[in-house]
Formats: sequence, C-alpha cells, structure tokens
Amino acid sequence: MTQVAGTLKAHLAVWLLVMVTGLGTLLLMEAYRSSQRAAERAYDSQLAAAALTVADAVQWEGRVPIVRIPLAALQILATSHQERVFYTVLDHDGRRISDNLDIVIPKADQAAAATAPIWRNTTQAGTRWRLHGREYDSAGWDIQDPVQIWVGHTTEGRRVLTHELFERAILRFVAMVLLAAILMLLAMRVALKPMRQLRHRLRMRQADDMRPLNIKVPEELREMVEALDTLFSRQRKSRENLLRFTADASHQLKTPLAGLQSTSELALQSRDPDVWYRALSDVHDGAKRTSRLAGQLLSLARLRHMEEADEFQPINLCALLRDSVLEWAQREMAVRHDLGLAELPREPMIVQGQAWALRELLGNLIDNALRYTPPGSEITLGLYANGDWLVLYIDDNGPGVAQEVRHRLLQPFERGGRQDTHGSGLGLAIVDNIVQRHAATLKIKERLPHGLRIEVHFQKAEEQV
Amino acid sequence: MQRVWVLALLAWGSLASIPSQAATPLVVEAALDRQIVAPLLAAFEQAHPGIELSYRDRSTLEVDRLVVAADPPPDVVISSAMPWQMNRINQGYAQRLDSELANEWPEWAKWRNEVFGFTFEPIVMAYRLDLARHMLPPQTHADLQRLLDTQSDTLQGRVTTYSPSESGIGYTLFQQDARYTDRFWDLVTALGANDTNLEPNTRKMLEGLSEERYWLGYNLLGSYAMVWAQEHPEVVVQVPQDYALVVMRTGFIHRDAPHPRAAQAFMNFLLSRDGQRVLAAQTPLFSVRSDIIGPYTAQRLRDQVGDRLYPIPLNASVLAFVDPQRRRAFMARWEREFERSHEGSH
Repeated sequence: MTQVAGTLKAHLAVWLLVMVTGLGTLLLMEAYRSSQRAAERAYDSQLAAAALTVADAVQWEGRVPIVRIPLAALQILATSHQERVFYTVLDHDGRRISDNLDIVIPKADQAAAATAPIWRNTTQAGTRWRLHGREYDSAGWDIQDPVQIWVGHTTEGRRVLTHELFERAILRFVAMVLLAAILMLLAMRVALKPMRQLRHRLRMRQADDMRPLNIKVPEELREMVEALDTLFSRQRKSRENLLRFTADASHQLKTPLAGLQSTSELALQSRDPDVWYRALSDVHDGAKRTSRLAGQLLSLARLRHMEEADEFQPINLCALLRDSVLEWAQREMAVRHDLGLAELPREPMIVQGQAWALRELLGNLIDNALRYTPPGSEITLGLYANGDWLVLYIDDNGPGVAQEVRHRLLQPFERGGRQDTHGSGLGLAIVDNIVQRHAATLKIKERLPHGLRIEVHFQKAEEQV
Repeated sequence: MQRVWVLALLAWGSLASIPSQAATPLVVEAALDRQIVAPLLAAFEQAHPGIELSYRDRSTLEVDRLVVAADPPPDVVISSAMPWQMNRINQGYAQRLDSELANEWPEWAKWRNEVFGFTFEPIVMAYRLDLARHMLPPQTHADLQRLLDTQSDTLQGRVTTYSPSESGIGYTLFQQDARYTDRFWDLVTALGANDTNLEPNTRKMLEGLSEERYWLGYNLLGSYAMVWAQEHPEVVVQVPQDYALVVMRTGFIHRDAPHPRAAQAFMNFLLSRDGQRVLAAQTPLFSVRSDIIGPYTAQRLRDQVGDRLYPIPLNASVLAFVDPQRRRAFMARWEREFERSHEGSH
C-alpha cells in the first residue's frame, strides 16, 4: 500500500521555514545592528555640526574666551526629534566658560578629546545622553590656548530612528520571504509538470497495455520511468508465462482425456465384458494419471500465487528427509527401485521453511527419480553441511540428462526429451518454485559413468536464541 | 442607565485621589495677570468642581525661580518668558502630557509634548491721543526710530519700554528684535537719547500712559494693552505694520507635581475647545486653535495684520537667550547703545 508522507509543497514549506528562522534570525540581528549604526551615524554627524557651529562663535576678549552661543547650534543639537540639549565650553585648564547643564565631563574624556574628536554615552539622572567633544584651536592676541567644546543631546531620536530603520528591514525581509515562497511554488508547478504528465499517461493506460512508456522526461525522472518500463516488461513476461502455462496445461490435459475418450468409445462398441474390463482398467489408470497431473498443476498454481503469508518455521531437515524416504519406500511405485538414504549427520540440520512445501519438494524429487530411471536403479538421498549451507541431494544411476536440455528441465512440461514416461513434466518446476521461495539454490549435476545428481543448497538457520 | 452610573463613579474615583470628599488641591504658579485670566479659571473650576485651584500670580523671573526652589513644587507652571520656560524643560523639570488634545496641538506651539503655548499675544506699540496732535503716530519700527530722532524735543522723557534687566519677557523681545536687524541698536540709541523710561511690566507702562507721564510705549504685551485701551479711550494700540512679534504663554506640568492628575486636567482644559473658547471670547489672550471663533483668535489676528506676525519660536534656539555669557554680552551692548548719546554729549 502506498503511504502518503506529506506533500512536496509541505516539505518545501518546512524547509523554507527552517531557512527563514535560522538565516532570518542572523539577518535580523545584523539588520538591527546596522540600523543602530545608521541612526548613530546620522545623529552623531548632527552633534559634530553643532560643535563646529559653537566653535565658530568662540572669540577672545582680552584674556578670556567668550562664547556667544549661536541659536542655530541649539536647533541642530535638538534635531527634528526635539531632544534635550547640552553644551559646554571649557578653557585650557578644564574650567567651564559656558554651559547650560551640569553634566560632568570626566578628565579622561577631556584628555581624549584633546587629541581627536570623541563621542561618549553617559547617563545623567536616569536619562541617557550622547556627548561629543572636540578641541578648537583659537588664537587670541594675548593667549593662544585651545578651548574644548562639548555638545550633547538625549537619545530618544536615535532609538526611534533605529526602530524605524529596523522595521523597514523587517518589512523588506518578510516581503523577500513571501516572494521566495511564491517563486518556489511557481517553480514547483513548472518542475512537477512532467510528473503530472506521467501520471496522466499512466492513468489513461489500458489495463493490458504493457508497452514501454514513450514520454519525454527530465533527467531526474528518467530512473523512475526506466523502473516503470522494467516493471511493465516483467509483467508482460509473467503474463506471457501464464498464458503459455495455461495453454500447455490445457494441451497436457487434452491428451489423456482424448485417450480416455477413445478407449471408452472402443469398449462401447463391444459387448464383451472382458473388453470392458480391460478398457475400464485403462480408463482407471488414465484417470489416475490425469488426476495426478491436475493435482500437480494445482500445486504449481498454488505455489505461484501463494502470498508470503505462511510463516516460516525452523525445520529439522534430517527428520523430514528420513520420514519422506521411509514413506516413499513403502509405496508400490518404489518396489522395483533401490530407494535408500545415505548416512545422515547426527546433529539436527535446521533451516527456516514451510514444512508442507519441503515435503512436496522431496516428494517431487523422489517421484521424478522413480519415474525417469529404469527399474532396479539406485536412488540415494543424503544431507550434509557445507559451511553456512546445508546441501540436500538425490543421486540416481539412471541414464542421466543430456547436457543441452538440462537447463530446460526446470520449465513446466519439460521431460528432458523423454516421451517414454507418464510424468507430467511439472515435478522439477514445482521443486524450483519451492527452492526459490526458500531462497535456496538448485544445482543439476551429471554423475559418472551415468546418472544424475540434484542438489538443493539451503541456508543454515540462525542458531535459536 | 447602569453604565452611566459606573462611568460617573469612575470619573469621580479618578478625580478624588484623596479618599474623602475633600477636593484635590492644584497649585498653579503663573506669570499671567489673574484679572485677565479670571474667566478661564472660573470656567475650569466650574468644569472640575473636584479640584481646588490655587492660582498664584507672579513675575516671570519669580515663577522661574520657584520651579526649582518651591517645596512642595507647583503642579503647573505658566509664564510668558519662553526662554526661561524652555530652559527648565531642557533641564528636565517637566513631564510629558500625552493626551489626545496634547497630541493634536499644533507642532509650532509645543515642544517635546512637555510645554505648550496656549495663547497668541502680539507685541504692540501704544500711544496717547495727545501724540497724534503733534505728529503722525508710528506704524512701523522705522517710523518709531524716525520720530525718536526728529521729535526728540516733544518726546524727551515721554517714551517707555521694557527694562531688559528686570523683565524676562522684555529681554526676550529685545533679543528677538536684535536678531532681525542691526538697525535695532540705532533704535536703542534713539531710545536712550530720549531718556526712555524702562518699566518692569506692561501694566506700569499702561498706567504711565493713562496718567500722562508717557506718550509713547514700545514693545507692550498686546493682550493687556487692548483691554486697557477699551477702558481708557485716551490710549491707542498700534500693531506694528512691518513686523509684529508674538509671544505665547507656555505652560507645563512640573516633573514632581504633587497632584499630577489635577495638573493634567488643568493643562487639557487649557488646550481644549472649551478653554480656548473662553480665551477667545472673554480674555484678550488670543486662542491658538484655528477652530475657535471669537474676537481674540490667532486666526482673526492673522486676518487683520496679515503675514507680518512673527511668533517667537518654541524650540531649542531660544535657549541661547538664557545663556549667561550671551545674556551678559547682550546686556553690555544694550547699556552701551542706550548710553551712547549721553557719552557723546559729555
């Protein structure tokens, strides 16, 4: 049964989601940092501009620097976000010439600002301030000391701008993800088009159409189409086999039935009870053969259509072999042959198998040997272990089978080129089938000077725990 | 019906922060004449019977000092000295007002949603009718300077204006005047040459005009002068035709206001339609809101005077006016220019 494990779209969506959350977290962290940097840069440049404007307003009056704080500087400091503003001008000794708030500038920062313009964050009474300090060389007639200019403002505008920029970054990211999802869906529709065509073709196919698919597919689907083609060709072969088997079976049944018909017709023309008796016993034999043939056909068909439902069990081949040979030796059919058993190993020989099928296998092997060897032939069954394998064999010293027909022996209705027996030609086919079911191998070997050996190599069962 | 009761209870509960029936006190320190603003205060008390308003009328510099010095601090601070108010905001002495009214208030009349300009008062010249008998009364700043130069005999000792050292608003006006043109200093020289009397507030100038001590006043608060002129027909108010400065009374809620809810109610009332309607109809303070109709509205003033109204901006730039060095330098120049003619005569 086919199991539906989600759709491809769902798989891709999950994949996209994982990508978005993983990569997205990193991207958004980076976006936040860069938004922050951008906001800082924008507002810091305002601080720098304000400081320059203040510097422009520093003039010496005698020995004292005077700052006429320009209105523009304050407006630049406040920015459009209406920040609270701070400014102070320090003389060379760090004394405040002018200021508007009591924000402390540490000595270390003053020293740093003496060499290069600096920016500092500070907190004053719970309010965050951004300060900028720079030194300004101002030459008076009496004193040429530099003055230091510090400006600053609160950071609300930076925070708001950061959030604005970050929100825009998030929007862009979300839009990109949505676009990617849409594009992915579209791409999937395009990519899955050959798949839909294939499905359509398979659905439209006639039930008995076993021709290979004739369809243009992309490379990724080639293997699947090839597998389908292989499946079709195997089904075609199997169907052909079935048809041939049915035809053969009908043919095989037709011959004995025709025999029965002609015997009974001949007998009916006579009024002699002796003729009737003879005919009747012929009919009896024929019916027995036909019934056996039908039984074997049934057995083969059963084997072929057997589902794997039957449980395999550990089976001791020694016991099975012994029982089968004993049973066969008592049959009337075996009285004119020397049916025997080679010495069996002492320890049990366990394989995983189905008892009835293995019994059938042995029965067919023995039956075959009895049928295709002349009376008085020796038939010996034996069993030995060979590494991981258990080898079951049956020897006879009959006429053997010619090399060129040996490989056909396993096909149904094949009698090894012999027309002199009442065998159905199904025995080895059944054996082969059972061998395959047990994952064993069948080997047919020639014996010298004449005769045949058939070996079945079973896999040894795992030790019982 | 039940809902109305619940709402009424909630409203009562929100006003009465003290559990008993006692009214919430509210202290307002203001540089705004009680007499002028009385209708507005009455309307507020009527709208908020649960608040006991304590309105203290002082000078601009006194109000500014109390922002820091008063203990307990006032709830609401009102003053026309915009640079001083802005300086206190910048020092963090205000708290934000985030009501709907505050958010809808025009951007040019507020800063940081902490301080709000709620009036729109033009700065005017005023003269006695006697002046018109001797000369063409001044309509512009240039007219004024020409009169001071040419009619010095008549005007000697009869001109008055703000004292920049005693009045915050006066100092602010001169600073703003000086921003526009350097010819302002010629005007100061001319004022000095005419032995101009420097007064600490508009009321003193108006009294002098009515008492015939002064004939001409420069840079008076239009709101006071217009009311005065209605009761004293001998005084004529002239809105300068070249440019007229406009000051706004600004109010903010003190950071440490002991009664913040009452303070918010008061500020919201100042900004509300009701409050502004009283301003426009019953006081000469001129409503800022454009959706108010009355004799005293910014809109009506604009229609009459045209585009020549120059409000002192409510932004960080006015902080420069209170910078000590800048103030010292400005005052030094003022003294120099004011005394210049006397130096010359010696």
